[in-house]
Amino acid sequence: MTAAVLSLRGITKVYGEGDARLEVLKGIDAEVKTGEYVAIMGPSGSGKSTLLNILGCLDRPTKGTYELEGEDVSRLSDNRLSAIRGERLGFIFQSFNLIPQLTVLENVEVPLLYDPGRRHDRSVRCREVLDSVGLGHRLKHRPPQLSGGERQRVAIARALVRDPVLLLADEPTGNLDSKTGEDVLQFMEQLHADGRTILMITHDAAVAKRAGRVIRLQDGRVVAPA
Amino acid sequence: MIGAGFELVQLGLRNLTGYPLRTLLTIIGVVFGVSSVMAMIAVGAGAEQELLKEFGRLGIENIIVNSVKSTETRPDSSNNTWGYKRYGITFLDEALIRTTVPGLREVLPVAKRTLPAWSGSRKVEVSLTAVQARHLDLFRLRPARGRALCAADGATLSRVCMIREGLLTELGIFRDPLGSMLRVGNTAYEIVGVLPQERLVGYAQKALAVDAKRIEVYIPYETFANRIGTAQITQREGSFEAEDVQVSQLIVAVRDAEDVIDISHMINRVMEYNHKVKDYEVVVPLEHLAQRQKTQSIFNDVLFLQAAISLIVGGIGIANIMLASVTERTKEIGIRRALGAKRRHILAQFLVETVIVATLGGLVGVGAGYGLIAIVEWRTGWTTVVTPASIALAVSISVAVGILSGIFPARRAARLDPIAALRHE
Repeated sequence: MTAAVLSLRGITKVYGEGDARLEVLKGIDAEVKTGEYVAIMGPSGSGKSTLLNILGCLDRPTKGTYELEGEDVSRLSDNRLSAIRGERLGFIFQSFNLIPQLTVLENVEVPLLYDPGRRHDRSVRCREVLDSVGLGHRLKHRPPQLSGGERQRVAIARALVRDPVLLLADEPTGNLDSKTGEDVLQFMEQLHADGRTILMITHDAAVAKRAGRVIRLQDGRVVAPA
Repeated sequence: MIGAGFELVQLGLRNLTGYPLRTLLTIIGVVFGVSSVMAMIAVGAGAEQELLKEFGRLGIENIIVNSVKSTETRPDSSNNTWGYKRYGITFLDEALIRTTVPGLREVLPVAKRTLPAWSGSRKVEVSLTAVQARHLDLFRLRPARGRALCAADGATLSRVCMIREGLLTELGIFRDPLGSMLRVGNTAYEIVGVLPQERLVGYAQKALAVDAKRIEVYIPYETFANRIGTAQITQREGSFEAEDVQVSQLIVAVRDAEDVIDISHMINRVMEYNHKVKDYEVVVPLEHLAQRQKTQSIFNDVLFLQAAISLIVGGIGIANIMLASVTERTKEIGIRRALGAKRRHILAQFLVETVIVATLGGLVGVGAGYGLIAIVEWRTGWTTVVTPASIALAVSISVAVGILSGIFPARRAARLDPIAALRHE
């Protein structure tokens, strides 16, 4: 029996008050176990992004509990949440979100800058991770000089650099053509095979199918629990 | 904090060099402020130093009483036909001040007379100044060559004199003047010392009633009093005119500088008692210095305030640019927050950037300040004084301005909602 990396119980998210009150998430229960590759799928407006923000510790639920590795993180301070994002989560965004002024190596270094315990072997660690995504030869390039697929691999390297317990991918292939998108998906399967826990958000059923399990979301509710 | 401070600085520099023109303009804003603060301090300090130099020659513990040819001075009625004029400080005044006013260190009479000095056929009008030996010490009149007049010269009524360097050139004496004779009026004096050519200017000149056009020749007071006397008869258009000024000037040295003002009032009282018309003036350098210092310090404050305002304007420039920068880099802030940056990391990042700009501006401003000071000196001829303290002050003010103007934009950056920031394009 493998432990749950995350478990959601009755997650509700409400924006606004009174007439403007909008309930985006209406009680989500879900669990992801270590080493799982899960896709959360739903049409736009289903609450995917809101759920991702909560899962990514960028936002707090209005109600319900979110346990990450058994620790309830749904009521933590901004400061603690920042630390959790840095230490335990790795983000892969649809639009890559690399910092254009920084080189590839520097972009991958960013999460380590906020790790007080890691000062000496930063550059070594970054090269190692960049090698593993096949970009060891592009350290001094800047993001605008890279192709879309390469940029996403830099972003993946950046997500992996602090060795997170959970990778959160938000439409990782959304901005890529089908061929490079396929490369990225294959790479994520490789990561899954290496034992990474991945949670991917997508609206694309074909992409979702690549994951080991799909959680369908509609109108803020899980409609087909796996 | 993010790793070491060094990394923050490195990161800050990298962001700043990413927008070179913007950074340059921001720095220039600070440069102007810092250099003007520095220049204004230097001008103020220079003026203060000039003031002290001017008054240093007079001595703030001295009171000077001068004889003045009052317009009210009437010819003595008993000697009407002669036109015998008697005015100014009398020996009685001197004796009264000496005996009745407490707290005095010394009272030194000075006699002055304008006379021609001869060297062969060359004639120069000089100001023959008879002083006691102590007078030379008091005003630090030290010969560059030869010796100073001493008490023994006075006691033996010696005909010796101390001249100014400049007189030698005017009289065309190019050999060693020491030991040679100089005829002033009807008496020949042996030159025993040569004073460096040094002129009193401004207030000091006025206070000591120094004749600006004529060079002084110093002789012992006793020699003057006993061999020449105080009365002077001059022939003018066939008629004779006699003038009698017993004491041209009294230098009153006070024991304690704190008593100067009180003692000056007492001297005034003594003089008023003896003189119906005001044919004397009591000059108190200390009083005048205090007044001048007050004026100067107001002037300095105004200058400093103006310079400080330009520094504040520079600071507002920084704040403005940094706010624009925060808006422009909202996305970057969102990314960093998602990757684990805490609010204080973002705060530090932006604050360090402004401090770098302000510090660079401060350092360049010090260089520019030297340039500005050189220009001020060249255009106005004012004395300026640059002290390490003024440099330190200018730089630390600029750093403080950097921190103050950086806090608001940095806080705004740190408080951005990470989700909104990430979504920002």
